[in-house]
Amino acid sequence: MVAETAKSFEALERQAQTLMSVFVKAGHEAVAPSMIQPADVFLDVIGEALRARTYVFTDHDGDELCLRPDLTVPTCRLHLERHPTGNVKAKYCYNGPAFRFQPQGADSVHPREFRQAGIEAFGGTDREKSEAQIVATTVEALKAAGLTDFKLRIGDLGLFRAVLKAAQMPERWRMLLAHQFWHPEAFRNELGRLSNGPAKALQGLPADLVASLDPAKRADSERKVAKHLESQGVDLVGVRSVSEITESLLGIVEDGRAEPLAPETAQLIESYLGVTAPARAAGARLKDLMRDKGVDITGALDSFHRRLQLMAEAGVDVVRADFTAEFGRTLEYYTGFVFEVVSPALGPGSPVAGGGRYDSLMRSAGSPEDVPAVGAAIHTERLLAAIEGTTG
Amino acid sequence: MTERLVLAVPSKGRLMEQTSDMMAAAGLNLRKTGHERGYRGEIEGLDNIDVAYISASEIAWYLKTGRAHLGVTGEDLVREQMSDADDRVEFVKKLGFGHADVVVAVPTGWIDVRTMSDLDGIAQQFRRAHGRWYRVATKYLNLTRRFFASKGVTDYRIVESLGATEGTPAAGTADLIVDITTTGETLKANGLKILDDGIILNSEANLVVSNTAEWNPRVREAQNEILSRLGV
Repeated sequence: MVAETAKSFEALERQAQTLMSVFVKAGHEAVAPSMIQPADVFLDVIGEALRARTYVFTDHDGDELCLRPDLTVPTCRLHLERHPTGNVKAKYCYNGPAFRFQPQGADSVHPREFRQAGIEAFGGTDREKSEAQIVATTVEALKAAGLTDFKLRIGDLGLFRAVLKAAQMPERWRMLLAHQFWHPEAFRNELGRLSNGPAKALQGLPADLVASLDPAKRADSERKVAKHLESQGVDLVGVRSVSEITESLLGIVEDGRAEPLAPETAQLIESYLGVTAPARAAGARLKDLMRDKGVDITGALDSFHRRLQLMAEAGVDVVRADFTAEFGRTLEYYTGFVFEVVSPALGPGSPVAGGGRYDSLMRSAGSPEDVPAVGAAIHTERLLAAIEGTTG
Repeated sequence: MTERLVLAVPSKGRLMEQTSDMMAAAGLNLRKTGHERGYRGEIEGLDNIDVAYISASEIAWYLKTGRAHLGVTGEDLVREQMSDADDRVEFVKKLGFGHADVVVAVPTGWIDVRTMSDLDGIAQQFRRAHGRWYRVATKYLNLTRRFFASKGVTDYRIVESLGATEGTPAAGTADLIVDITTTGETLKANGLKILDDGIILNSEANLVVSNTAEWNPRVREAQNEILSRLGV
């Protein structure tokens, strides 16, 4: 890895001061969460896949710790230390290093150590307003640092959920598809399975047992499952109970007996996911699409329009924003609005900043319930490179 | 610059015996030099070859870092230690012993879970019921992570297990396992079954060539001698 020169260190420090002063002026309290974090909480939140990208180590007491791979989770934890229930209004900002293992070797585009500057807003009840403010503050900070040429990409999982809700299908399928949204390939398979023959779900299951199960009779079904296991001489090992297995089996049985997903429903979902348009035109495009299919997602579309309006009022140049329905599919912890700032100097693969809504993150970090949360982070080395690339 | 080829072979157990027999059948007699319990050896009649007796899992590391030119070890151990195994080493010959499958196994009573996709399907329910993701006990951290990712399963936690892995679901330290099995009997005895698409790797002992080791003409010559006798 290329050693950092004093010059670039100073440039980053100066840039950080500019960013932080914009954040503080927007009402965010500056905090410095711990660099070393308990691995357990982190891995639970970010998932085992990201563990491969995280520096996890065991200290002399045998505790499993990690170097923070980002600052959002540490900021959630800091908030929870102050307010154990989590659901208290607060706005924070930070600037500091984060660490990621680079499996293909570290280089300047994929550093193992980088500085992240960011903002978080917890407990905000006016959702669209909190989101618009986060985008506006992020864009303002980027401009203050000297970035002039950039594009905004936005996405909205709220719209996706509204489409699912309006589409005709069992609730369980909605949950399955919503869960698979982040795994495009699995999503396509699932959609295919539900469209072509959910009855296949029953293949390979003990036929007699399946025939005797009735989703409307939970306790009775549970007894039958227990009896089946006993007759097979199966001792159930582990913590998962007969009741849980029954619940899951009944879901499969319901799938198997359900009518396949109507072709027009699958098509509706696919055409929604195919929408990309300038943000201001996207609303009208979606409205037309939904009207053609006879589907009503007015509530979610209203939120989309209101957010865009609030962003414009807060000084964001929404003409430069693009909407992509699929956007957000690689970032599992986001639960609603998502955005990214892309500079032409670095390209779409290396966004300068990104953020969005992640209402379930606080609960993963230990709060008793979901807490409204919106935030954004700036990749400061990339920002500097983008600015230097455009000016020199 | 080293002028001698380093051949790494298992230092104990069945694997050592089978390696020794396989080589002898090809006219390559392995012999320890010095003390019988030592870890260095040679091949009778061949100069320029050092035989290093080391544990099977360390052989993978020797090949990865180039400390050994050639090695005999399980494909599972090599793939576990190298995410880029096909760049770093070459599997030149399957040796027909040390058979073991690396598999995903869940409690037999989980009749609702037959495939990796079913396993993914119960992740949310499991979390609701137990307040945590299900735990996978294994010593194959990397193989597990890569395989689960390829199947789109993301909501789980790995607990490292260095022995008696198949007992961890019953003991409550894990909910399912990724482990090696030959006949499946041990799994069955511990109340576990293999998922239909849960075979990660059909592994066996392989003769493996390191691409990272330092190769010069004399070492290459020694390698050619060994490979030609083994019919590669």
